[in-house]
Amino acid sequence: MIRADQANQHGILSFRTKLLLAMMLVVSALTGLGLYLAQRTVAANAERYLQQNFQSELSAVDKVLELRRAALAQRCRQLVSKPRIHAALEDNALDLLYPSAKDELRDLMEVGEPSSDQAGISLRARFYRFLDRSGGILPPPNQKDVGELSKRAESQLGFKKLPEIQQIGYISENTDATPEVVDEVVAVPIFSSETGELISTLVVGFKPFRFGNERVSGMRSGIWVDGHLHLPSPSQPVGTALASEITRAIMKSNDAQGNLRVSVDGAPQLLFYKRLNPHSLFSAAYEICVYPLADYMTRLRRLQWQISGGGALFLLAGFVASHLVAARFSVPVEKLEMDSATNRAERERAEAALVSASEELKRSSQYSADASHQLKSPVTILRTGIEMLLAREDFKPEIYEELSALLHQTHRLTGVIDDLLLLSRMDAGHLQIESAPVNLSQLVEEWLDDLSALPESPEVRIEKKLPPDLYVTGEKRYTSLIVQNLLENAWKYNRPGGQIRVVAFRLAEEVRLKIGNTGRPIVRNLQEHIFERFHHTSDASGHGLGLNLARELALLHRGDLKLVCSKDDWTEFELCLRGSSLAKNCANPPG
Amino acid sequence: MIFLAVPLRSQTAVEGRVQLLESHPVPVMAKRYEIVTTGGVLATEPPLAVVYLEGTFPKAAPRNPKQVAQKDLAFLPPLLPVQVGTRVEFPNLDDTYHSVFSYSPAKRFDLGRYRPNEKPIPSEVFDAPGLVTLRCDIHEHMRGLILVLNTPYFTVTDANGRFRLSGLPSGRYTLKAWIDSKTTREQPVELKKGATARVDFP
Repeated sequence: MIRADQANQHGILSFRTKLLLAMMLVVSALTGLGLYLAQRTVAANAERYLQQNFQSELSAVDKVLELRRAALAQRCRQLVSKPRIHAALEDNALDLLYPSAKDELRDLMEVGEPSSDQAGISLRARFYRFLDRSGGILPPPNQKDVGELSKRAESQLGFKKLPEIQQIGYISENTDATPEVVDEVVAVPIFSSETGELISTLVVGFKPFRFGNERVSGMRSGIWVDGHLHLPSPSQPVGTALASEITRAIMKSNDAQGNLRVSVDGAPQLLFYKRLNPHSLFSAAYEICVYPLADYMTRLRRLQWQISGGGALFLLAGFVASHLVAARFSVPVEKLEMDSATNRAERERAEAALVSASEELKRSSQYSADASHQLKSPVTILRTGIEMLLAREDFKPEIYEELSALLHQTHRLTGVIDDLLLLSRMDAGHLQIESAPVNLSQLVEEWLDDLSALPESPEVRIEKKLPPDLYVTGEKRYTSLIVQNLLENAWKYNRPGGQIRVVAFRLAEEVRLKIGNTGRPIVRNLQEHIFERFHHTSDASGHGLGLNLARELALLHRGDLKLVCSKDDWTEFELCLRGSSLAKNCANPPG
Repeated sequence: MIFLAVPLRSQTAVEGRVQLLESHPVPVMAKRYEIVTTGGVLATEPPLAVVYLEGTFPKAAPRNPKQVAQKDLAFLPPLLPVQVGTRVEFPNLDDTYHSVFSYSPAKRFDLGRYRPNEKPIPSEVFDAPGLVTLRCDIHEHMRGLILVLNTPYFTVTDANGRFRLSGLPSGRYTLKAWIDSKTTREQPVELKKGATARVDFP
């Protein structure tokens, strides 16, 4: 039993653990999934936001650049349509070209240094050159007038073949004053107004467009041209590293624009590049935006931490909840388990008891039956012998007396054995009652007659109060046995000069028969045992089976027998039987 | 023509017809400016030609200046032949400024911007033979041509290409016809005193 309990305990424990584990697993999986999705979403959003920011910045840059370029191109076109320039080119007066242009470009060229706040949006040219028909530079008579340029920078202005449409380019220049300067160059073709031929190209150099330093926080923009990166303020090694990164990216993708992450000096940077002069015959130039990601990464990491913290809290809450739910779920199961265990134990116990009791019963009834039969034959032989002895006439009178007493005892013995036989049959469940209407009044009357006819009957007064033809349902043999039993007892245990009172009446469906007698009452502490088999009676005259048998029979008839009272010289029993319908309907019941 | 020709019949002269350029259907914009460029060739529109007698003549350039006016944003006449040494005045007959200049090798000059009815009338002496392209610095489309010739004998054909050049010295000469900036045709001509030679430029 203890082992079973332990097993049960173990089972419940494992059930709870399993439930808890499953729920924790689910909660963990959900939390993990949620975390993963949230992180991914956050990262994607942040990335998108950054991209959008850059794109909008870049498109703003684009718009400004476009406007500026349109303005520049417009000015350049105006220049190249100037009659003097055309005259110089068309009328073979190249010596007058630069002088004429000087006049015409006077308002375009910078005079002195532009003020710093205008530098960004200045439309003033820094230099200009004309190209001859073969794409080479028409040498200016005076460098000062046309904006000084290094040989290297000047060489970048030429073309192998004059371009037929306007070109935008960027050239990097090395001068002593500033190590790396980038110029935005607009090359405008000049067509002869006479021949329509491409006769020259005006190349005008401007300071490239510069925005304020801080647009997006920390973002720096610059220009990459021909393998050189021009950022406002990178330290030299960083600039070189960036330049090589960008060069690699641009060479690889060959896209007009793109972005990549680079790590410079261990600091992550987001890098955008966009071709400034698509389809240009000049060498490719890219607008570069470098955005240090440290801030962004920090923010992202903080956000991720927050999300993780939230997730952990959620997980914890989930664990607690799952624990509670598991406990809650397992309680009824546990109870069920316990109940079923208890029930099972009880049932097993009951079954075992039933089995043993039934075996006991079977055995005892078998024993009773066997014993009855075994006993009956010697008693019969004994009685026959005594009766034969009594039939002789050659004994002394006192021997006849003795023999009579012996005979009486054999009769008693037979009665006991009969009772035992009946009881054992009842115990074995073999006794079947064939119910029929029985005239109780008649039965009582007959037995009272028999009793009064007994020898040595004491002087008792019999008082009877019973309606005639009171019918009960039952088998006449056994009903009669009960009545006999009760009346015999009332007679037997009476005192001389006593009284027997028999009262019978009908109460609804029941018929009650009350039999009382005077005489010494049953000892109080024995009263409750008088219906037990072989109970100890105070005097030896009873064998302790009669009341038991009477009661069993009454019960078998769906009735009852009980002791109403037994005190002060009065003992009364009440027999309860089922009334028969014949009592009402049949005026003349059968015998 | 006939009326004119009768009193001049006694002079030494040459007449004929120049096969002019086809009248191109030119862009409307250019029509009013009269000097058109086609493939780098300057010509008048409608086509005209200058016929002149080449040679060395003692006759000096006329004292009186010739005129190329700027009227309706165009040079008028669009094509002016002059003898070397002739002064040409450029009166501004428009309501706007003009700025006549030329970068032509035959004559570089720049009159600068000047108002209408500028006095004295801006002028320039053309002292080297050749074709001078007149431009206006303000109105880039304006073109005028001055054909500076060594000879005093020249004329502009009519719209059909007919010409008559009279008062010429007798002798063998070369008669030239300037058709456009790239095309000058020539024919030998023998002029007899009092006679009118006939030369056609096919």
